[in-house]
Amino acid sequence: MPRRDTVYRIVCAAVFILMEVAAFTLVGGSGRLQSTWILRAANSVRGALWGVGENIGRYISLGRENKNLSEENIRLHMALMAGMEEEDRQKADSLAEAVNGYGCFNLSPANIVKMSRNSQHNYIILDKGSEDGIQEQSGIITPYGVVGIVNAVGKHFCYGISFLNKDLSVSARLGRDGIAGPLEWKGTDTRTALLKDIPMHYEVTPGDTVWTSGYSDLFPAGIPLGTAGEVNTVGGTSHQVTVSLFQDFYALRTVIIATNTGRDEIHELEKREGRR
Amino acid sequence: MKRNFALTYIILLVLQVMICNYLHVTPYLYLCVLPVMVLCIPLKVSTLAVLFIAFGSGLAVDFIADGLPGLNTLALLPVALLRRPIIRGVFGEELISRSEDISAEKHGIQKIIIAFSIVQAIFMLLYVWVDNAGSRPFWFCAARFGVSTLAGILVSLALTRLLTEGVHDRWS
Repeated sequence: MPRRDTVYRIVCAAVFILMEVAAFTLVGGSGRLQSTWILRAANSVRGALWGVGENIGRYISLGRENKNLSEENIRLHMALMAGMEEEDRQKADSLAEAVNGYGCFNLSPANIVKMSRNSQHNYIILDKGSEDGIQEQSGIITPYGVVGIVNAVGKHFCYGISFLNKDLSVSARLGRDGIAGPLEWKGTDTRTALLKDIPMHYEVTPGDTVWTSGYSDLFPAGIPLGTAGEVNTVGGTSHQVTVSLFQDFYALRTVIIATNTGRDEIHELEKREGRR
Repeated sequence: MKRNFALTYIILLVLQVMICNYLHVTPYLYLCVLPVMVLCIPLKVSTLAVLFIAFGSGLAVDFIADGLPGLNTLALLPVALLRRPIIRGVFGEELISRSEDISAEKHGIQKIIIAFSIVQAIFMLLYVWVDNAGSRPFWFCAARFGVSTLAGILVSLALTRLLTEGVHDRWS
């Protein structure tokens, strides 16, 4: 009985569809407006059906597409890595060229492997070690400033104290021929340092460039560090100049390790004269 | 007094043809009682037969009246197909299983209004949609649908007595 009902329903539906089609044909044949409209609707339906077919085809081929995309992704990733390595190498070479001519300093480009910026005692790890001729107590610089000092050397890597470290000070000079004093990181943000111990009689012009003085055996003289800003008197005995650093520590990727080739001789002399 | 439903149906069909030919009040109004006529066909008549009756009635109005041939037919056929589900939904399964006919006295005027509204809405929706064929703005189609459906329901309610009372077992 239920099967008979189902068959009957199917027959009813079929008859209904046939009659509706006949009615639509009549309407389509009598009215031009309706004829165009029905044609347009039929085209839309056909388009939708083709679209569905196309989508199904695409869905079926998704696996193959995914595989192709993965392979292409790997290929592009490798090309990108190669490009980045080349770019780093070129940047390091250009950096070395830029600071070339620092007398008895041996310059070696290095990439930053790790660097902290958010503590009061920040550090830096570079991808050059003793096998690359790096020694302890070498300066880490860029054409825009001092980055730190190499403190420990491994076979392939070296560990340095960052300039962003309260324990580090660099001898700096106000202007090319100005007065020198220790430059220390202010400790608050990565772009500000303090040039201390400037005598009261010395007139500081805000906007003057601050350079490395070359008074230590760590850094070559004449590396631009930043510009002089606000001047404060400390304890009524000296000035303290706020320096806006050129080097953006957040943008650092490559540096130069400057090793003083005459350092042993300097130390020998100091030792002989009882200064060390 | 017992009435012959077939005769009533034919009279109403003629009336419908006359309405289509002579009643042109406004483009918003198309007065049609065909869906209610199909709904009120006695329940002992099978769906297949009702489909054929609707098809014939629609074609008769389409060809005799000055309208678009096929338009009434295509709007009336879904009413014929959905007649039993609508009756089952509004009046209950019992009416179907007993093959009783719709009666305002027995089932109340509210149910009659609901059933009439549904069939009129189905019919007018299709009629207005196909007749305008995307050439008129939506607000016009909506207004035409609303006015025509409401008028159809009111006229059908006026014919309720004629269509639903004392018509048992008199189709054919």
